[in-house]
Amino acid sequence: MSEPVAVAAASSPRLPLIRVTGVTKKFGGVQALRGVDLEVLPGEVHALLGENGAGKSTLIKILSGVHTYDEGSIEIAGQKVAFESPAKSREAGVAVVYQDLSLVESLSVGANLMLGREPRTRLGFVRQRELMAQVSAFLREHNIPLDPRVPVDSLPFAYRQMTEICKALMGDVRVLILDEPTSALTGGEEQILFDAIRAVTKRGVGVIYVTHRLNEVFRISQRVTVFRDGANAGHFATAETDMKQLVAAIVGPRHAAMQARRETTGGVVTQTEPGADAQTASQVAPHVAHSAPVLTLSNVSNARLSGVNFSVHKGEVHGLAGLIGSGRTEILQTIFGLLPIHVGTINLEGQPLAAHRPADAIRRGIALVPEDRHLQGLVLDHSIERNLTLPRLPQFSRGGWLLAKAAAQQARTAMKQLSVKAPDASTQVKFLSGGNQQKVVFAKWNHPRPKLLLLDEPTVGVDVGAREEIYGVVRDAAHAGTSVVVVSSDLDELLRLCDRISIVVDGSIERTVERAQIRHAEELHHLIQLPRPVEELAT
Amino acid sequence: MNDSASPMPAEQQAAPRHGRTWRIAQLLLQGDRPYMLYIAFAILLVVFSFASPWFLSIDNFLNIGRQTALVSIIAIGMTFVIIARQIDLSVGSTLALSGMSAALAMSHISDNWVLGAIAGIGTGAIVGAINGFVTTRLSIPSFLVTLGSLSAARGLALMVTTTRPEIITNDSFIAIFGEGTIFGVPVPILWTLLAVIGGILLLHYSVFGRQIYAAGGNPTAALYSGINIRRVTTLAFVLTGALAGLAALVLSARSHAARPDVVQGMELDVIASVTLGGCSLFGGRGFILGTLLGSLIIGTLNNGLVLLGVSSSLQLVIKGVIIVAAVAFTRK
Repeated sequence: MSEPVAVAAASSPRLPLIRVTGVTKKFGGVQALRGVDLEVLPGEVHALLGENGAGKSTLIKILSGVHTYDEGSIEIAGQKVAFESPAKSREAGVAVVYQDLSLVESLSVGANLMLGREPRTRLGFVRQRELMAQVSAFLREHNIPLDPRVPVDSLPFAYRQMTEICKALMGDVRVLILDEPTSALTGGEEQILFDAIRAVTKRGVGVIYVTHRLNEVFRISQRVTVFRDGANAGHFATAETDMKQLVAAIVGPRHAAMQARRETTGGVVTQTEPGADAQTASQVAPHVAHSAPVLTLSNVSNARLSGVNFSVHKGEVHGLAGLIGSGRTEILQTIFGLLPIHVGTINLEGQPLAAHRPADAIRRGIALVPEDRHLQGLVLDHSIERNLTLPRLPQFSRGGWLLAKAAAQQARTAMKQLSVKAPDASTQVKFLSGGNQQKVVFAKWNHPRPKLLLLDEPTVGVDVGAREEIYGVVRDAAHAGTSVVVVSSDLDELLRLCDRISIVVDGSIERTVERAQIRHAEELHHLIQLPRPVEELAT
Repeated sequence: MNDSASPMPAEQQAAPRHGRTWRIAQLLLQGDRPYMLYIAFAILLVVFSFASPWFLSIDNFLNIGRQTALVSIIAIGMTFVIIARQIDLSVGSTLALSGMSAALAMSHISDNWVLGAIAGIGTGAIVGAINGFVTTRLSIPSFLVTLGSLSAARGLALMVTTTRPEIITNDSFIAIFGEGTIFGVPVPILWTLLAVIGGILLLHYSVFGRQIYAAGGNPTAALYSGINIRRVTTLAFVLTGALAGLAALVLSARSHAARPDVVQGMELDVIASVTLGGCSLFGGRGFILGTLLGSLIIGTLNNGLVLLGVSSSLQLVIKGVIIVAAVAFTRK
């Protein structure tokens, strides 16, 4: 499988294992990569940072052979390569460990690692003992503390991930790509994973480590590359940089622009009515704090939340910021009745919310735009009209019979108001672009306006134009008196939309800050990162 | 993007006007490649017309209608269940148990056709409710739940009379569900039409229909939209059970008796009709007229093969092959 040249090259420490030069990639009209460079040395952990949409995932998909690239070059051990397929990329020694695990949970660790290449007898039976012996030898060699006999579904998450990494390493691997490996791990589990990574790099494998958690960069990596808007935004030796410098590179020189966020947004809302935008701009910051809160959570706890306290006023846009897995999504799900409340109360307009079902929440005027529009927000095979009427069916019916005309009329109105681009309301949602699909999810709650609108990552996978339109929709709703709670990993988004922002850490609200107290995304980044103690910086 | 969109450009352009013609066309044309179903049916009719001189006659078509009534009636209910991403294997056994219940109620409690009808349909609905309840509350796949009730309901049907048939003597019952005609149309066909019309109203014009589609098309999204999936799914099973009860009335009225060992293996014909008619076993897709057409295709196939004098063993083979081939052709 491996060419002799490559093996020789890999043994020389200075020659990079993989060198990406000026790679570009365009999806339709979107330039995802504008010429990026990346270089990984043998035995190095190279952190790759950047906001959502900066181009990290696109590059990973190119390296793993899922996408092809347009221009530029990729060299593996000095040899130019074109990854036409995942198999080709694997053959060249690039292995990717994705966030979602690809293990057969009912099988043992050993069976998973040898899946599809089990040692067999002549009759096709598996040589069980030989299989386990091979796996044990491999685990010992890499110094990885896994028992090959244990079924995967009985393992804690970190060990499953370790199994996944081992599976990726089973072949002839030179570059290992880890895509946000710690997003679902607890503090203790992280350490287990880091030890495994160190064991791997000792053998000369180069690791590309994609993450959103900056403190990990200092714990595990030697070098850092930052992407921003599809281009390189910085390259650092980890030992010579600090968190402030990294955050600045990630967020970019937009601080001045942040100050002027009102103008920016006003300009885009023009979309709907040219005359309205000046008005919109001046009304963005309503003095909401004087009124009684619409939504109050007091000491709300369940399996995922531990004592959440915060309140939202009429017309306020309230942001929830925090790391992935901190409990932001679960707060929204609990308010919407998808998760039970074990302790504490949620009040909507002074009335306690005993909603244990989404239907009750909807009746009380609560709307949720969920995180994953394909899985949670839409029935992709169905028409726009069917999707739009789904949460408000009682509104479009009399005595159980559907009022087809009213439903169709409402669908057309909502499509026009949110400028959903589609031939008509009978178009299947799966044929729409990401941005238009997301507008359909918003349009489900268009009329009547909800009292409380919950948004979970409202613009993920949405192009820039549609994103601005969605911001317009959110602001319009807030002006009309709807209270909004936004969960987002995009800090600029939070700063542009919110009147107040709460920092969520480990299932509770760490602190709540006024928008005006935060000058730019960098400060917010620090607020999110710093509640976690930065222990043992750089190793 | 692919050929699935090509047959409907005219309908799509007419969409905003929502004329009556368009709505009827919409009822007739659903699924991935809906026209294939009509082509398949037409081919079948043409082939049999040429092959057998007796095929093309009103009497024979009424005959086909009578023969397919049982499958068609139950398939209407099964359409709801399959669109909701479930399956009901117990319909044949439910039919047998419902028939016994109707006949026993009339012979032991009161010789009144209304009581027989209530007992038969009610028994079917109860079996359906149990299927639905166990499936949704205990989160057991409906394939397993109804495999269990397929066995249990059949056993109960055999137990109640220690496997003997129960004779039905009520003339009104026999006339209303089995042997009567209205304007020359046999009542089994009329009951089928009633079930079809009811099915169309419920699936395509009611809130319940919308909820069924959503529950099967994407259960998570339906949940996030406040749909009570358990309730909707259970109702689909109840509907199917009740229709199996109605089919039991038709069958027992026609044979003047309820027999505990009837229609074994019927679930296959029912499920074949529904999938042939364009329902996706992955849920969220299907329509009532497609199901009716699917059932008619299978009925016509049975009828034509008999007329051609094909041996009953070979009939089974041909039917099996044609069903799989037709499903393969009607979707991509």
